[in-house]
Amino acid sequence: MKLHNKIRAIMGASLILSASACESFLDVNENPNNPEDAPISGLMTNITYETSLNVFRSGSAVSNYVQYLASPNPDSGSDTMEPLDFSGTWFSLYNVMTDLNEMNKKAEEAGSLHYLGAGQVLMALNLGMTVDLFGDVPFSESFNFTTVTPKYDDDQTLYGNIISLLDQGIANLQGTTSISIGNDDFIYGGDVATWIKFANTLKARYLIHSRGGSGFSAAEVLAATAAGFSSNADNAEVIFFEQRFNPWAQVAINNSNLLLGGWISEQFIEALDGTSYPAVDPRLGLMVGTTDDGEFIGTVNGAGRGDAPEQGARSTLIPGQYYTSTLSPVLIATYAELKFIEAEAALDTDKARAFDAYMAGIEAHMDMLGVAAADKATYLSDPSVNVGAADLTLDLIFKEKWIAMFLHPESWNDARRFDYGYKNFSPPANLNPNLGGNLIRRLAYPDSEISRNGQNVPSVTLLDRIWWDQ
Amino acid sequence: MKKSYALSLLFLFGFLVSVPTYAQQNIKGKVTAEEDGNPLPGVSIVIQGTTTGAVTDLDGNYSISVPGPQSVLVYSFIGFSTKSITVGNSSTIDVVLATEASELDEFIVTAFGISQEKKSLGYAAQSIDSEAITTSRQQNVVNALQGQVAGVQVTNSGGAPGQSARIIIRGINSLDPSADNQPLFVVDGVPVDNSTIESNGTPRGMTNRIADINPNDIETMSVLKGAAATALYGVRAANGAVIITTKKGKSGVVQINFNSSLGFDNLVKLPKLQDQYGQGFSGERDDSSFWPSWGASIAEENDPNYVYQDNWNRAFDTGVQFDNSLSVSGGNEKATFYGSFGRLEQDGIIPFSSWNRTTAKLSGTVTASEKFNFSGSINFTNSGGNRVPHDRFLERMMYWSETTDVRDYINEDGTMKTYGNTNPIYDARFATYEDDVNRVIGNINFNYSPTDWLMLSYRLGTDFYSDSREEITPGPMGIDGEVALSSTGFIEETRINSRDLTSNFYITLKKQWNENWNTQLRLGNDVFERRFDRVTATGSNFVIPGFYNLSNTTQIFASQGKSIRRLVGFYGDLMVDYKNFLFLNVTGRNDISSTLPTNNNSFFYPSVNLGYVFSENFELPSWITFGKLRASWAQVGKDTNPHILGATFVSPSVFPLNGQVGFSKNSVFGDPNLKPELTTSIEFGTQFAFFNNRANLDVTYYKSNSKDQIIPVPISDATGFSSYITNAGQIENRGWEIVVGGTPIESGDFRWDVSANITTNRNEVKGIREGIDQIVVGSQFGYAGSTVTMILKEGQAYGNIYGSSYVRPGAAEGTETLDRDLPQLIGANGFPVRTGSQLILGNAVPKLFGGIRNQFSYKGIEFSFLIDFRSGLEQYDQFGNFLSAFGKQEDSNRRNDTVVFPGVLADGSQNAKPVWLGQGVGPDGVNYGAGYWRNSYRGISENFVNDASFIKLRNITLAYNLSPTVLERTPFRTARFSVAANNIILSTPWDGFDPESFSAGAGGNAVGFTGLGFPGVQSFFFTLNLGL
Repeated sequence: MKLHNKIRAIMGASLILSASACESFLDVNENPNNPEDAPISGLMTNITYETSLNVFRSGSAVSNYVQYLASPNPDSGSDTMEPLDFSGTWFSLYNVMTDLNEMNKKAEEAGSLHYLGAGQVLMALNLGMTVDLFGDVPFSESFNFTTVTPKYDDDQTLYGNIISLLDQGIANLQGTTSISIGNDDFIYGGDVATWIKFANTLKARYLIHSRGGSGFSAAEVLAATAAGFSSNADNAEVIFFEQRFNPWAQVAINNSNLLLGGWISEQFIEALDGTSYPAVDPRLGLMVGTTDDGEFIGTVNGAGRGDAPEQGARSTLIPGQYYTSTLSPVLIATYAELKFIEAEAALDTDKARAFDAYMAGIEAHMDMLGVAAADKATYLSDPSVNVGAADLTLDLIFKEKWIAMFLHPESWNDARRFDYGYKNFSPPANLNPNLGGNLIRRLAYPDSEISRNGQNVPSVTLLDRIWWDQ
Repeated sequence: MKKSYALSLLFLFGFLVSVPTYAQQNIKGKVTAEEDGNPLPGVSIVIQGTTTGAVTDLDGNYSISVPGPQSVLVYSFIGFSTKSITVGNSSTIDVVLATEASELDEFIVTAFGISQEKKSLGYAAQSIDSEAITTSRQQNVVNALQGQVAGVQVTNSGGAPGQSARIIIRGINSLDPSADNQPLFVVDGVPVDNSTIESNGTPRGMTNRIADINPNDIETMSVLKGAAATALYGVRAANGAVIITTKKGKSGVVQINFNSSLGFDNLVKLPKLQDQYGQGFSGERDDSSFWPSWGASIAEENDPNYVYQDNWNRAFDTGVQFDNSLSVSGGNEKATFYGSFGRLEQDGIIPFSSWNRTTAKLSGTVTASEKFNFSGSINFTNSGGNRVPHDRFLERMMYWSETTDVRDYINEDGTMKTYGNTNPIYDARFATYEDDVNRVIGNINFNYSPTDWLMLSYRLGTDFYSDSREEITPGPMGIDGEVALSSTGFIEETRINSRDLTSNFYITLKKQWNENWNTQLRLGNDVFERRFDRVTATGSNFVIPGFYNLSNTTQIFASQGKSIRRLVGFYGDLMVDYKNFLFLNVTGRNDISSTLPTNNNSFFYPSVNLGYVFSENFELPSWITFGKLRASWAQVGKDTNPHILGATFVSPSVFPLNGQVGFSKNSVFGDPNLKPELTTSIEFGTQFAFFNNRANLDVTYYKSNSKDQIIPVPISDATGFSSYITNAGQIENRGWEIVVGGTPIESGDFRWDVSANITTNRNEVKGIREGIDQIVVGSQFGYAGSTVTMILKEGQAYGNIYGSSYVRPGAAEGTETLDRDLPQLIGANGFPVRTGSQLILGNAVPKLFGGIRNQFSYKGIEFSFLIDFRSGLEQYDQFGNFLSAFGKQEDSNRRNDTVVFPGVLADGSQNAKPVWLGQGVGPDGVNYGAGYWRNSYRGISENFVNDASFIKLRNITLAYNLSPTVLERTPFRTARFSVAANNIILSTPWDGFDPESFSAGAGGNAVGFTGLGFPGVQSFFFTLNLGL
């Protein structure tokens, strides 16, 4: 029994010893891979980078609906307006908004009003893109983890948030800041004056959506456009990197290696090559490639390439053009867009201003692409383009804006507001039979939301219009 | 009874007891074993009709006083046939005991490699021996358990060489979709790593690490099922434990064993496919169409360039595996050794898939003195191969034209030969992914017994491996008109280093209080550490085509993930044995884990179990040889993964860009107040042996409840996180396990043994944390809204598959479960109407599974077969979904038919509208667009959630052992030749590849999704074993 006691004593002592040694031995759970905090500049870098990609992702999601692009394969879901799962795009949009929420909180605490202002502008943009794609979406219960099943806010109410965020952003950007934005900002490199113009440009974009609605004020839009971009130099864009190619360039490179994508819709080709409109547009050859025979031939949406081979017989995005160079910018908002918004807003009240803005919009886009001066002059003087203030129509504005907004998601907002009224616009072949011959009005809510937050997801069809599209 | 009784010697040490007698005649003698003539200690000798008896000592000697010459002595020892001898006038009776014919698995290796008398266990445990392990020629130890053990469900994730297999004991304990619900693997007392690290990107069918063990080195495997069996291994064994004991040398002459096996694999099963229509769309032939089989009728086309190519059979190779191993063992009374080499080479059925394994093992035991012995072993493994992108292979097969030869895949200049789509075989050949694992598993054990009632033991184990992986996808070669696999090409180098250290010290105290009471107490401390580091560098855009080095790329990204997990445990284990018929076992353990919040990281859990051998107490009919009841109650705790607590930020690997490094909020949030999971299980069982062990029966009922489940709950991205790791659920598993076995015929040289097991499992999600309505376990893509999701909801079973279905007007309001018997609603267009609202379409957990093994032997000939089955489960057939989207399934032969879909119209009347199933304008002038299968059928999940039961001939073996008389004329001690076949499907309602294959790999729990994974294979083996 004595030995028993000794053993007990030894066991007891070693237990106590090991218990205290344990504590430090076991204190190894600090995350060695991910920091607990991030610098505000690091957030800005990722936010500006990812925001440009969100523009690309959204643009890519809808480019077949507005018939910039067409699938080389018949009955492709993106052509035929099937309910596709955009869980990935949804995640990216909310991921950036979560980071914005984080950055704005930090900026507010630190008194960096410029970061806060820029953050509010980008929050408005990302929220705007989300609402325009999906309609009602979560926002008021988002980001701060107050619930795991956030409710969906009314899309019109969210537009109130967007405008208010832009107004607050402008006010903050005009204030004094404790920390200045620098090269961490991939959009403007910290140029606050241009940030303010960008905010006003976005304000014009979101206000014009409700034209024709009850609360719309053209004067408000025109006030915003006046404070917006004043030249192409102000364009909001992220120039891509040797380390990471422009995503549209990647599409073009893939296609040239026969990983097919970026095929141009027949609708787009015919709008520019003199088929649908009298004037041959000099921009066509700067935006898309030709066939091996030097011709521009588009692909009919939903019909596929038919008996055409994979390469050389249809127009596609090709590497090295304005939209498709490895170091090309991804355009977030442009001076050209702003001028067309101005034209649309002024059309009912001030035709002369509208016409000037319309012409300036075309010219701005041509300058962006580097259209030769003579070609530009020819096009701008063509009677079908240079119609004069009296004959300017909404159709013309929408047509030119559609060209100038190539691959941009805003075009689908325009297309819906315009009821897909582009000249010669025909529904895709093999159109989703559930649409009953109508065209898509919103994206389906992503599968991830249906499975994780199903109770709150509104029950809608692809034909249910969002608030400004009534 | 294959286990060496030398092991039992140690255990039975404490049973030595002398019994006073009142007798007139003294008998002495020695008991030896028939097999090798060695003395048998611990043999019980009882005077028949009395309780008087004696036990042999260490040297097998005994002495006993008997009343007179008419006395009968009964000699019994576990594992040996009982012998009765009438004393007569002898004063010395030497007895030779023969090994018992029937195998009752009397001993089983339990926690810490302790061999324990099965009779004394208060819980169910089952073991299989080396023969059962190696007969099936499975290269993965996990597969060798398939169908052999009650309560154990083994699933192949696919037929790729070295591909992981998943083992689940008594159902899923953790609801976490990515949790490892697999048991802990313990080799010679030391836990080893069995993780499966899947590839980034497309699945490659990586290996679960226990496959690094050469099955030829294994002596026995025991499966400890309940928490009771595993309380002593702590948190890591919360899902049970598989205890592997490797072969040891035996004292005597040096033995050399050589084993060589050649095997062939082929596809076990194909879905039913159409062979009437070729490439094109809308019934029109198009030799460069993306669409592989919506084209013209091959017969009508009547063109030698437009014929069915039978690609689905021709794309696959015959897999070949060649396995050789050599072992040398021997020793004397003081020391033994065992050494082995093994080499396996395997090429899979998907072209260019391979896996090789080289193993070397050395182990030894030394008995330095009566008080001190030690042993150690070291096992080296090099394994790896080329892992083809199997999921993508089958996806590309899906897209590949049925009228273009898939085997004709390469041009003379090395570029891909194709009409447009990527050729699957070209991709398999050039988009390589090679892993190269070097692994060392070692352990050393010391046992010191200063007195006969005290033993100090220490075990130190290490499991270290490096896994070096290289993925290459070539870019364009720069040849005009080539179709490249990637427009830029990329190389990814991954380096994984993992090191486990396990230290275990324990003290064993034994005390025989008197002839009735015997106790054993074990107290110990257990420390575990795993360090893991994974570095990945990716380079894309090769400058010089075909030169594959990171420095030859223009874009390089790097990332790193490292972790440390530490566990410290203290435990105690008390065993009390009353008169060798009542056994009580109480354990307690406290674990402290580094992975939990400091205020919640220490947790205690107890267990108690009781075994009662009533056959020793009651007068039972003579045909009942043995009867036992057992009961147990146990708890076991479980921690979580390291470094998951709180909210963090990540730097996406794309940075730095322009010298800036971006940060983003991590989309995973770990609850800072996380608690350990706790599983409470109860178990009742009974065990019988009949007709002198000719038949046996073991029945167990089990129920386990796991609460405070740590689950990464997928939550709306709009919350700011996508995943919230928290204590979110409770699950209950319950069921029956029945094991029946015996020797129905034993007559002369002929013998028939049979053993069967059957398991039922029911489970229920008992609760989900408030505020969370449901937990998404996983989902799998299906076309046009037919994506299915495995969702957990309170009150439902684990494994429910949700998806879209046909509208059925008769369905009860608010019902969540699909009733396939109700009539479908037919729309005005004549086609069934789909609903996207998600209904339960099936459940992926088998309700009943088991196996039956028969062995026949006649002289040197052995014949055995193992049949296993599972039933009561449904799976999502993603293949079926793709086949119907691409017009490849047999049913699409009906594409020119006009049919009337059975069902009711909105007004309740029967549908009578004929519709055409094809694409484009039908004979009725109506434009049907992309046709029935694309417009309707493929978008409805219910079409693809189907019964995945099967009955398989898991293994059938015919072996011939050369008779000793022939062997005498050869240098060989033993010689055996066998032929075997594995994994032959006898029956299944499943239309697809092997229903067992699933693409997720062994690590996850989303088993209801078969995916486009590596199809299952059936194998044929020729094996030669020689002993010298």
